[in-house]
Amino acid sequence: MLFHTWPFLVFLAIVLPVFFALRRTRLWLPWLTLASYFFYGWWNPYYLLLVMYSTLLDFGLVALMDHCPRAGQKVDVRGRLTGLRFDDRVLKAAFLGAGLAALGVLALAGAGPKTLRPSAVGFGAILALMALGALYSSRRIWLLISLVNNLALLLFFKYARFAVENLNALGAWVHVPLKLADPSTLMPFGFQYLLPVGISFFTFQSLSYTIDFYLGKVYRERNFLRFATFVCFFPQLMAGPIERARHLLPQFNQFPPIRLQNFTDGASLFLVGLFKKLALANYLSFYVERVYDNPQAQGAPALLLATFAFGWQIFFDFSGYTDMARGVAKLMGFNLILNFNNPYLATGLGEFWSRWHISLSSWFRDYVYIPLGGNRGGKFSTYRNLFLTFFISGIWHGAAWTFMIWGALHGLGVLVTRELERSAVYRDRVPKQLKQAGVFLFVSFTWIFFRAGTLTDALLIVRRIFSAAWQNPEIPGLMVVLVALVWAYELLYESRLRSWLATGFARVGLAVLMIVYLCLCSSGGGAFIYFQF
Amino acid sequence: MQPSSQTPTAVPAPQPGSTGTTTSPEIPFGVNEVRLDARQWLIAFGLLALIVALTPTIWERLERFDTGADYRIPYPLSNDYWLYGRRLRQVTDARQVVLLGDSVVWGEYVAPDGTLSHFLNQETGGGSRFINGGVNGLFPLAEQGLFHYYGGALRNRQVILQCNVLWQTSPKVDLSAAKEDQFNHSRLVPQFFPQIPCYRAEASERLSALAQRQIGFLAWVVHLQQAYFGQKSILGWTLEDDGGTPAHYPRSWKNPLAQITLAVPSAPRDDPQRGPASPRHKPWSEDHTPTRFEWVDLDASLQWQAFRLVVEDLRARGNDVLVVLGPFNEHMLVEDNRPAYRKVRDGIVAWLEQNRVPHLAPDTLPSALYADASHPLTQGYALLAQRLYADPGFKAWLEKGKDPQLDRSK
Repeated sequence: MLFHTWPFLVFLAIVLPVFFALRRTRLWLPWLTLASYFFYGWWNPYYLLLVMYSTLLDFGLVALMDHCPRAGQKVDVRGRLTGLRFDDRVLKAAFLGAGLAALGVLALAGAGPKTLRPSAVGFGAILALMALGALYSSRRIWLLISLVNNLALLLFFKYARFAVENLNALGAWVHVPLKLADPSTLMPFGFQYLLPVGISFFTFQSLSYTIDFYLGKVYRERNFLRFATFVCFFPQLMAGPIERARHLLPQFNQFPPIRLQNFTDGASLFLVGLFKKLALANYLSFYVERVYDNPQAQGAPALLLATFAFGWQIFFDFSGYTDMARGVAKLMGFNLILNFNNPYLATGLGEFWSRWHISLSSWFRDYVYIPLGGNRGGKFSTYRNLFLTFFISGIWHGAAWTFMIWGALHGLGVLVTRELERSAVYRDRVPKQLKQAGVFLFVSFTWIFFRAGTLTDALLIVRRIFSAAWQNPEIPGLMVVLVALVWAYELLYESRLRSWLATGFARVGLAVLMIVYLCLCSSGGGAFIYFQF
Repeated sequence: MQPSSQTPTAVPAPQPGSTGTTTSPEIPFGVNEVRLDARQWLIAFGLLALIVALTPTIWERLERFDTGADYRIPYPLSNDYWLYGRRLRQVTDARQVVLLGDSVVWGEYVAPDGTLSHFLNQETGGGSRFINGGVNGLFPLAEQGLFHYYGGALRNRQVILQCNVLWQTSPKVDLSAAKEDQFNHSRLVPQFFPQIPCYRAEASERLSALAQRQIGFLAWVVHLQQAYFGQKSILGWTLEDDGGTPAHYPRSWKNPLAQITLAVPSAPRDDPQRGPASPRHKPWSEDHTPTRFEWVDLDASLQWQAFRLVVEDLRARGNDVLVVLGPFNEHMLVEDNRPAYRKVRDGIVAWLEQNRVPHLAPDTLPSALYADASHPLTQGYALLAQRLYADPGFKAWLEKGKDPQLDRSK
């Protein structure tokens, strides 16, 4: 269900009144969970099971982790194995339950229907690890299970086909008869092998909870529904922002206060998001698609402009989604974090990443960069860690070489700009506008790899930008004007003239203009780009 | 482990007040000033309400809309339902009779001066008493939506409604077939109930159609697109190619606003697709063989159900409805297909009689005067008009219209 479609409006028209009507009861939370599951199931009801499974497992793992001592403790493994002498009844039950279930599931994998074998082996392994976690009373094993489970889901649904194809190609290249089966053959009962919408978002969100609990940064959530709502909260389920447990979970402790400002702010955010998506992103997408689908036939100006246009398209698309998500959450009284902060006004690449997809940047900072060592080990290891973080971030975006190159380019770019920013000449003498232009140009260049269908296309586009003839790019003038207006607005917003934009006249006028423009010019349809991640 | 001490500039800690630090109790609203308070929203809604309510009305006064005696909605504007409503609103003389129906009334193969309304006007001595209210591509399920939502002006007047049995000739045209199908005027058909099995539009499209019916402003926007932007959205228009190889985009730098000429485009004076000079304007019998239709039983026909609702809706609004059954090309039928046809036809007549709906069922026209199963050629329309006018029942019905005091709903 897309925010900018009529079914969502109907969905919201049912969900919101019931939510508020239930405010004095304990049913508002189950209602929110139900609504969120319905929202996800609208896309594909079967894959809802995946969300539920992931939620249930992480909830259980943290509960079990809570029964394990924080400090290292010697465990009588032999006594536990031979006499079932556990200090904790829950762990004993977990050991017995998981152990027996693992045996049962693995037996099913061996003797049961063929279609169930791959998933039964995977699930059996998870259960066996759980039995091991209970046996050793090890918080680290519970964390490991959560990591393995979430990453395995992500790897299987997102990267398995890419890996299989490349391994098979590599085998053929080195004359090794390698023929790995397509991952779709591993699906139980022949279910369709799809990339579950938003998988990278809800797995990361769920994973952050288990990691944070392991690190002692969040409390254990004892209410399953509250945790389930945290994982699948419908406004941000499909494409973020990736919330942290310590920020969002407490908001589900009690019914949020009903304030008029929540409605007005929520509606304002939603309107801006809707405008970004329908009036800007979708419009730009037509031009980008026309040029990028046939780069061979395009002149240099068209390729250049389409690349810039894509930069704006993805910004409007993704930040538009985030605005709408935050707006819908705000209508209910919940606060989601800010995910975009005028990124194209950044004066450095590091700053760009503190303004672009902030929730993902901070996720990678906290759960990849810092665990890798952060900046603790000197210049070389800092740069290595930075590069790796960006490279992994590239892979997170998709299973293709182009995304890896995109991530690597950003990694390299960050290293270079970081060094540049250390020099006084660059820091103090280079005008801000030049730095902004530099960042925009570099980011736009990397978008080529992000957007191109294949690596060959990306390289062709780069080559043709510098070598193809200069012919009429045939970009609609209206498109250029619209982007220029938005850019001007952003510049004004960050200037001393911001107060002009804050007048009632400007606010009302802009809101009315946006709504009328949406009615007159919206180009309809189009899913959000980030749904594929 | 303190993130701030670990963080280089490349993956920096969220900046105070600008990024979503998860521990901060205060989340910034956003990075724009489009943040309206309740009073400002009220003002905005007030302004929007004014714009939505007044724009179509003002536009109707500003935009030139030339219609003559034989005017019919031009083929390219068939989906401009707002214009259709406007056309009906123009018919202010209570003695004028509006002919409603599908492309048979509209005149698929004929020029505007070869339609039924034209020849009926001729029969009554010229003038423009009969108005062509047909729409190309229409059918009863769509008529239901068109007349109900856009035909508000159809009130307390004389109306001739054409009943075309073509819509019962197969489950496909009846839209009762289960196989998914694309058809004209899908935005006019019932979107949810009764369910149309072959109509598989997304919920979004269906709800959008419902919204367009209810909000006149949205229908007016479609009018702009239909009349000035080649049936495209304004943005789509700027992106349209010239169809060449390689394609070029001549409208890239054109000002879309300059397209709005404030005059409804009229049909081309000489339409190569229609009229006696057109290659399409030829008798069906030249290259067609008799056909066996898969007649749909009236009880199961979605189109028939819709037609009955159309009659009831029109009558409920005080209109005096005269139903003209046909003219169906019976020559087309193979012999053993005739009983099924007659059963459908008799069923229709029986319902009309039962409900005291004035109706006429003129004899089938000579074979050479049909272009296909239901569309007459120019001479066919002329003959049909003569036959209708010669019918005493028709004349009596027409006479009622001359006295506006008569109760038309009876």
